[in-house]
Amino acid sequence: MTELLKELCLLDGISGDEGRVRGYIIDEIKDFCEYSVDNLGNIIAFKKGKKTPPKRLMVTAHMDEVGLIVTGINDDGSLNVSAVGGIEPAAILGEKVRVGDKRISGVVGSAAVHNISKEEREKSPELSALSVDIGAADKSRACEYVKPGDSIAFDSDFVKLGENKVKAKAIDDRFGCAVMIKLIQSEIEYDTYFAFLVQEEVGLRGAKAASYSINPDVAVVIEATTASDIPGAEGDKKVCIQGNGPVVSFMDRTTIYSKELYKLAFDIANEKAIPCQTKTMIAGGNDAGAIHTARGGVKTIAVSLPCRYIHSPSSVADMRDIKGSFELIRQLVQRI
Amino acid sequence: MDIIKTLIELCKAHGVSGDEHNAGNAAKKLLCEYMDDVTVDSFGNVYGETKFGGEKKILLDAHIDQIGFIINYVTEDGFLKFSSVGGIDHRLLPAQEVIVLAPSGDIRGVITSIPPHLSADSNKAPAIDELYIDVGYDSEQAKSKIPLGTRAVFCTEPTELLGGRIASAAVDDRAGIVTILRALELVGKESKYDISVAFSCMEETGESGAKITSYNADCDLAIAVDVSFANAKGEDKNKCGDMEKGAMIGISPTLSRDLSGALIKVADKNKLPYQTEVMSDVTGTDADAIGVSRGGVMTATVSVPIKYMHTPVEVVSVLDIENSARLIAEFLREGTI
Repeated sequence: MTELLKELCLLDGISGDEGRVRGYIIDEIKDFCEYSVDNLGNIIAFKKGKKTPPKRLMVTAHMDEVGLIVTGINDDGSLNVSAVGGIEPAAILGEKVRVGDKRISGVVGSAAVHNISKEEREKSPELSALSVDIGAADKSRACEYVKPGDSIAFDSDFVKLGENKVKAKAIDDRFGCAVMIKLIQSEIEYDTYFAFLVQEEVGLRGAKAASYSINPDVAVVIEATTASDIPGAEGDKKVCIQGNGPVVSFMDRTTIYSKELYKLAFDIANEKAIPCQTKTMIAGGNDAGAIHTARGGVKTIAVSLPCRYIHSPSSVADMRDIKGSFELIRQLVQRI
Repeated sequence: MDIIKTLIELCKAHGVSGDEHNAGNAAKKLLCEYMDDVTVDSFGNVYGETKFGGEKKILLDAHIDQIGFIINYVTEDGFLKFSSVGGIDHRLLPAQEVIVLAPSGDIRGVITSIPPHLSADSNKAPAIDELYIDVGYDSEQAKSKIPLGTRAVFCTEPTELLGGRIASAAVDDRAGIVTILRALELVGKESKYDISVAFSCMEETGESGAKITSYNADCDLAIAVDVSFANAKGEDKNKCGDMEKGAMIGISPTLSRDLSGALIKVADKNKLPYQTEVMSDVTGTDADAIGVSRGGVMTATVSVPIKYMHTPVEVVSVLDIENSARLIAEFLREGTI
């Protein structure tokens, strides 16, 4: 699982440019299921189970990650960029990136700290004050390598931190992709639709189309969610705690989840002695927001991996939670 | 000398102010190839000395330390509290990766990032006091592996960009070290001056090393080789040099006008690209300490232009290192002062 997650995280696939991730996933699943790719780029896979359930089940994860897009090229060869998905400029200043299909190395810079005012030093930088530098001496040189619209992904390795943690970019939501690949490669109880979705980070857009096409009765969304169990955050502000297992939430900013499925998840967790927690803040959102209102309504649950510094190049997850989340999801899809 | 290879080698050898031994050892090894007598003092300053039978002695100085962090507390959850060593741009710290230079070996970590739901004013950059290094260990493990006082640095694999530009942490002032090494290679045995080289410690925390090295060098002339600001988006064009336009020769009330002028003449004569960097006060480099060493030293600055100073991705051009080295080498050969 860790090896698969590593390979997925190292692929670059910002929203709207998920091709590399899609290609990798298709290679992994093609011998184990029927699949098609829809007009938006979602992979819709159907896996035969031992039984055909009375209700149609859909499991989803999104392939896209947050990143940047080139909006213009300056005379000095630096690139102007916009954020694709929710990015804090502070988290990308001073970071390395890869630009365009040729994956040209670049860095995110701004005026040196010595040369900005005292007030500016105390403020988080604005994205408009940052630029991406690929080393091009001027505009014409930069234009040989980059064009407006090119995708920019974080350049961040996958490493173990301490005893139980891993650091990488794009754990949100390559973790979900990894879980679905593992399920497709295994024998499952019920016939299941697996949807690998595009454009989650820019408005849950792939999920809208896929949930219409699949027309499920029940959906399980596999995600990564903010863990803020860091010094300075107390009580509910921690949101969830790493090492305490997958997060099953009752509500977030996009969805009020099915009470029935929420209870089922915790019952299974208790029964199988899998640590499991809920979120202590009504915050964030995921593809469930689009899925639960698809067509005539879909009973939906989300199972999420607690992730520190989410949406940054250095997201941190706990391997115990990865194992626990996978196990809970595996059990859940047998019981829905 | 392969400038890129040498620069990358030096950038990978970490050395935060006050704990420069790794970087110092790497620089010492390289310096031995060009100088007869190379030593390291108890502070970690690296010295080289070669006599050419000159009447005067010149000190070529670059600082060996880099900015970084020092661990001053471990929380009960195993997070590391840290202070800055040198002028850190704290705006970019959230979610920044670091290497904790523990005695038993390097430990990777990530600086905590306060999510939007926790910050009352998301426009305010968090103070260093609100941030921690997450190394993934519990308190007991963290305490046993990471004694207080351990240093940490930005974690950046040096990367070659287009056009012979390199992005890395610690380009300030490993670029200066490489410039001096290359100048020594170019000058060979043809210097008019006896040469002292100092790779000085603790510049980023107040030029302490240079006070010691310049006393020991006891020289007549000195060039502090450091980095300075190159134009980049957001910078004031009037206050910066440009990339690939050669060495920035300092002119300041605190520097020797004669020596700065001699460097400019050498550059003109040899058709070497250069730019002047006019300052109105102290220079913020080792030159400030060297100039008032012992009975006074004629001192100038030669700075390599870099972008994004004091970030994990300082960008330098190999061409500027080469041209700065050529300027210094030509001056040593001509010995016009």
